[in-house]
Amino acid sequence: MRILIVEDDISLASGISRILEAEGYAVDLMKTGEHAAMAARQESFDLVILDIGLPGIDGFEVLRRLRSEGRGMPVLLLTARDGVDDRVRGLDMGADDYMAKPFAMPELAARVRALIRRGQAQSGPRIVHGPLVLDTSARRATLKGEPLELAAREWAVLEVLLARVEKIVSKEAIIQAMSNWGEELSLNAIEVYVSRLRGKLEPAGVRIRTVRGFGYMLEEFKEG
Amino acid sequence: MAASLRVTLLRLLIPPVALILAVGSVGAYYLSIDPAADAYDQSLVNTAIALSERIKLQEGQLVFDLPSAAEAVVRTDKYDKVYFVVRDSRGQVIAGDQDIPQPPPGLRADDGVIAYDAQARDRRLRAVALLAPCGAGTCTVTVAETTIKRDRLARDILIGSVLPQGMLAVLTLALVWFGVTRGLAPLARLSGEIRQRSPRDLRAIDESGAPAEAQPLLSALNKLFGQVDESNRNQQRFLANAAHQLRTPLAGLQAHTELAMAQPVPEACRAELEYVHSATIRTARLANQLLALARAEPGGNRPADFALVDLRQLVEEIADEWVHRSMDKDVDLGFDLKPASVPGDAFLLREVLANLIGNSLEYTPSAGHVTVKTGQSPEGAFLEVEDDGPGIPAAERDRVLERFYRMPGTSGTGSGLGLAIVREIALAHGARVEMGEGHAGHGCSVRLIFSSHAPISSKSA
Repeated sequence: MRILIVEDDISLASGISRILEAEGYAVDLMKTGEHAAMAARQESFDLVILDIGLPGIDGFEVLRRLRSEGRGMPVLLLTARDGVDDRVRGLDMGADDYMAKPFAMPELAARVRALIRRGQAQSGPRIVHGPLVLDTSARRATLKGEPLELAAREWAVLEVLLARVEKIVSKEAIIQAMSNWGEELSLNAIEVYVSRLRGKLEPAGVRIRTVRGFGYMLEEFKEG
Repeated sequence: MAASLRVTLLRLLIPPVALILAVGSVGAYYLSIDPAADAYDQSLVNTAIALSERIKLQEGQLVFDLPSAAEAVVRTDKYDKVYFVVRDSRGQVIAGDQDIPQPPPGLRADDGVIAYDAQARDRRLRAVALLAPCGAGTCTVTVAETTIKRDRLARDILIGSVLPQGMLAVLTLALVWFGVTRGLAPLARLSGEIRQRSPRDLRAIDESGAPAEAQPLLSALNKLFGQVDESNRNQQRFLANAAHQLRTPLAGLQAHTELAMAQPVPEACRAELEYVHSATIRTARLANQLLALARAEPGGNRPADFALVDLRQLVEEIADEWVHRSMDKDVDLGFDLKPASVPGDAFLLREVLANLIGNSLEYTPSAGHVTVKTGQSPEGAFLEVEDDGPGIPAAERDRVLERFYRMPGTSGTGSGLGLAIVREIALAHGARVEMGEGHAGHGCSVRLIFSSHAPISSKSA
């Protein structure tokens, strides 16, 4: 896995890169937007960590160039500004996540893992989450290598949660995602499907957390 | 403070008005009393002339022949007693009241008439002496009358001239008083308007309704507003910059301390590292809070910058970050979100949430519950964070809203700024902060109620 870090502050850049290297990623460091845009054009990265406040062309411009060139790799924006505009603008321009400085390194590492996983999930028909494997093209699921029976709606809910591991997903968002199937589901129905999924997945250590009054979160899979 | 305009004006006006009143009254008195007195004198002269015709020369003797009926007519007057005396050229009384004094010596006759004031029978008299030819000499016919009529006339003239003048003067002063009040009314209205203004409102005052005399003052005020506004904006830019400059190195510091802590380091070193790490996090938090406080203060944000903020959506946006933090603390963070929109500054409201949720997570023990609520109350939209932690005693609730105040015996890493920021931001939004217990009767709840009548919606102007 190869990650491009674009950050002009040497101390922060080296801190991030050392942490990610410790996690086993290959890391490239760029200090300017121009260099980053050029590097991303020539090389292939699994994730770009992009500071917005860069000298020369800023993070937004780098992001715009990447997306306009059809580069679809996940992009995590970093900002030191507090305006909500940066966040909205970044996400509108096709960034996948956003972190305000300063941040805790474990949180950065968790987000990086989630983004890379999502990037891979989108790139192939197989979604892997610990012992759980979904083959989206064949519509077959396995848990610990054993075939897993999932009803169509259970599959749909699980797919929504798998697309956002370690992110909370509101019930409304799940209903919205499932409305693509041409069905209108109630909040209660969602609870029923999640409850059935838990029954099937939790024995294998795959946990769906309830966020009271909000929705659910598929927790990162941890061994043991 | 200098004396009021009204008092100054009156002070200036009273002496001349009093002088005009005095001069006018005296002038009017004499102007009207002289002709009137002359007319009365003339009537005495007429009587004297009539009497003088009754002096006859009979056999070398001067005789005054007045039938008693005629004398009665002469002596009759509506108000005064009338006296007369006829003297010959030697001063011998021929007829009439002999105690009527002769004209004082030295008075010159004017057209054969001498008018003078006299005293007789303990009364003041007005007399005219007519010099009339009689025989070979000149007789003096003196007619006198008491001064009742004249005194009454003088009094009437005095009242007739002084009273209207006095009333005119009083009326003038009253008009000045009310005129000044009325003339200053636009200024009073203006000052009322300025007093009612939110300290955050630095828009120029509308000069069109103000009197011309107040325009320079208004222009100066508006110029000052403009300068304050500009300096506020400069401060805002500086703060945004400072935050940016501060956060990146702090992020680096945090990264490296966390890296160092992940290394196998000696135990003594580890404690130091942990101290550096927690200080870094506190510093970053404090920087954010000071920035928020500065922005929430008067002038930091202008009502015009407020936009409609969907509180529910605002909570949904930050929910993920806080759920992860609550998981680290093993606290159950839940939500109860109903639609609620308020005019406001999304950054500041997010800071309110950060402070309230942060506080609750800080003080709620593990396995506790924190709930974020939004919705509509009868008084308006609300935003609330409730926990079932140790709570805040009723007596402390006001004080914890003060800056840098920390409850006695408080542990944790708080700066004491969190709730002060919440209060400032609530103030900036015209919202009320209500502190209480959690719904189960313990713990703490802090609710911001955004009154629907908040003055911030005054952008219609």
